[in-house]
Amino acid sequence: MPYEVLEHTADLKFRVRGRTLPEAFAEAARAVCETVAPNCTPGGITRTIELEAGDTGALLAGFLSELLYLSDAEGLAFCSFAVEIRGTRLSAVCRGEEFSREKHGGGEEIKGISYSGLSLYKEGENYVLEFIADV
Amino acid sequence: MGDGVRKITDYEWEVPVGYAPGMRVPGRFFLSEALRKNLEPGAIQQLANVATMPGIVKYALAMPDIHWGYGFPIGGVAAFDISTGVISPGGVGFDINCGVRLLATPLAGKDLRNQRELVERLFEAVPTGVGAKASLRLSNRELEEMMIAGSRWAVEHGYGVPRDIARCEEQGAMKGADPAGVSQKARQRGFPQSGTLGSGNHFLEIQEVKEIYDPRAASILGVSRGQVTVMIHCGSRGLGHQVCTDHLRNLEAATKKYGIQLPDRQLACAPITSPEGKAYFSGMAAAANYAWANRQVITDMTRKVFAKLYTIPSEEMPLVYDVCHNVAKMEVHRVDGKEVQVCVHRKGATRAFGPGSPDLPAEFASTGQPVIIPGSMGSPSFLLCGTAVAMEKTFGSTCHGAGRVTSRTQAKKAVRGKDIREQLAREGIIVRAPSEASIAEEAPQVYKPSEEVVRVVDAVGISRLVAKLVPLGVIKG
Repeated sequence: MPYEVLEHTADLKFRVRGRTLPEAFAEAARAVCETVAPNCTPGGITRTIELEAGDTGALLAGFLSELLYLSDAEGLAFCSFAVEIRGTRLSAVCRGEEFSREKHGGGEEIKGISYSGLSLYKEGENYVLEFIADV
Repeated sequence: MGDGVRKITDYEWEVPVGYAPGMRVPGRFFLSEALRKNLEPGAIQQLANVATMPGIVKYALAMPDIHWGYGFPIGGVAAFDISTGVISPGGVGFDINCGVRLLATPLAGKDLRNQRELVERLFEAVPTGVGAKASLRLSNRELEEMMIAGSRWAVEHGYGVPRDIARCEEQGAMKGADPAGVSQKARQRGFPQSGTLGSGNHFLEIQEVKEIYDPRAASILGVSRGQVTVMIHCGSRGLGHQVCTDHLRNLEAATKKYGIQLPDRQLACAPITSPEGKAYFSGMAAAANYAWANRQVITDMTRKVFAKLYTIPSEEMPLVYDVCHNVAKMEVHRVDGKEVQVCVHRKGATRAFGPGSPDLPAEFASTGQPVIIPGSMGSPSFLLCGTAVAMEKTFGSTCHGAGRVTSRTQAKKAVRGKDIREQLAREGIIVRAPSEASIAEEAPQVYKPSEEVVRVVDAVGISRLVAKLVPLGVIKG
């Protein structure tokens, strides 16, 4: 299900949905990575993220922050995510390619994922996540 | 405006204790009737949230560019007692020491030749936008030295002249910086990005001094009518963002450990005197110093372009001043007749120390601290000075910019980058950016009018107008 960018004056607020929580997390990752580096197609790059947090909100912020770190420090663009969540542990295989200005340029840097405005709720059978990214 | 908010004077409003549960002090903000219609209720709520934090002194404050952020509102200022108060990354933001500096030049706007070529060459010289790589190659040791010495590191490595150092807030380096508070991850992000502008609202602008309001102060600051100036707006890049991310996590645990009740997780904090609080402060200071070195390196790139194009030596492009917008600092202020040591958080606010403040270079003893307020792309920026009123009312603080009124999504729907670029070109302003979308997001109409914001701070007296600067060319991140 495609993610939405909601109205927020200063920053970017996203709403993402998934039939399962891991699917919603994968969609959140797509929203963030597409904002930073658009036009990514899964190439030969794979990175695995493993982490644990106190609750689902912190897990989401931690996961997205880790993606921002990997994109920035290693110069990568990501676009495909296989996420597993057990309790408050997450494991994600993230696929993408080397960042190139020609292909992925013109995106917007995300400075961080805020704990303000983080929310998780169910809409029928679907999981919905909302979060604010500082740009 | 939310229920219960009281008007105190024409420009001053109070959010009384009780507006939100747990408030320890009232909130105060400064706003004109014209700016009032853009105030989001979320921003008042955030100001009230700040007022609940332990050790807050006198008021939770917000400047006239107040708007809805995360943690603190943008434009938020709060001072916490050093022995009983807390420190919070939510009062500083992800972009630690995002700031702005102003360079003077000996050129006159009317004589500026090759304006388009100048913009083009600056765009080539200064790495801009997502994924831009720095030309600097730093070792871990050099990065650590940079995080301790800030502007001085850059000047000693050939990226400036000694006089630049004195013309920065804190002389371009906060004391108490410790690279130990900066993780390996933050460093990895810092290596390729020192000397890069970034994206979003960061920019480098060529300007002309259009108006002088205070000739005496302008002459001391070194600006005159018709003169070309350069404004550089950027921060601590991925290094600072990671420092905030890392410490936010630690401080969330600390909030629980010290039994602090907070209405918003982004306000995660710890006592200033606690190991967690000290670790954040030392890491934040290191990131702030990295940002000063970053702006200094970009200054050098800028001067080199001017030198090549107009044969101007660096000495003839002095730094007027450099200020931070996002930072927490240990300062001494007079509160109710007594001197108190406080940790002042400024999030999207500028220090505006008054005349005679010991931190200022001797030449500014009579003017007060120079304050630089960037406008949005295509709108005027302003040079002001700090005042005694700011020392009394706002812990020596003022606004930091215009403040957005339209979200990025709305902006992209409402305007096209190409149209904005062409419209500005017709007004004589050349814009160069990595993409048209980034121009649309920062279009002049998405911000509050910068004139109104500075008019309010001048009317309240928390800073005093010195000069108005209009853009001639913009390099956007």
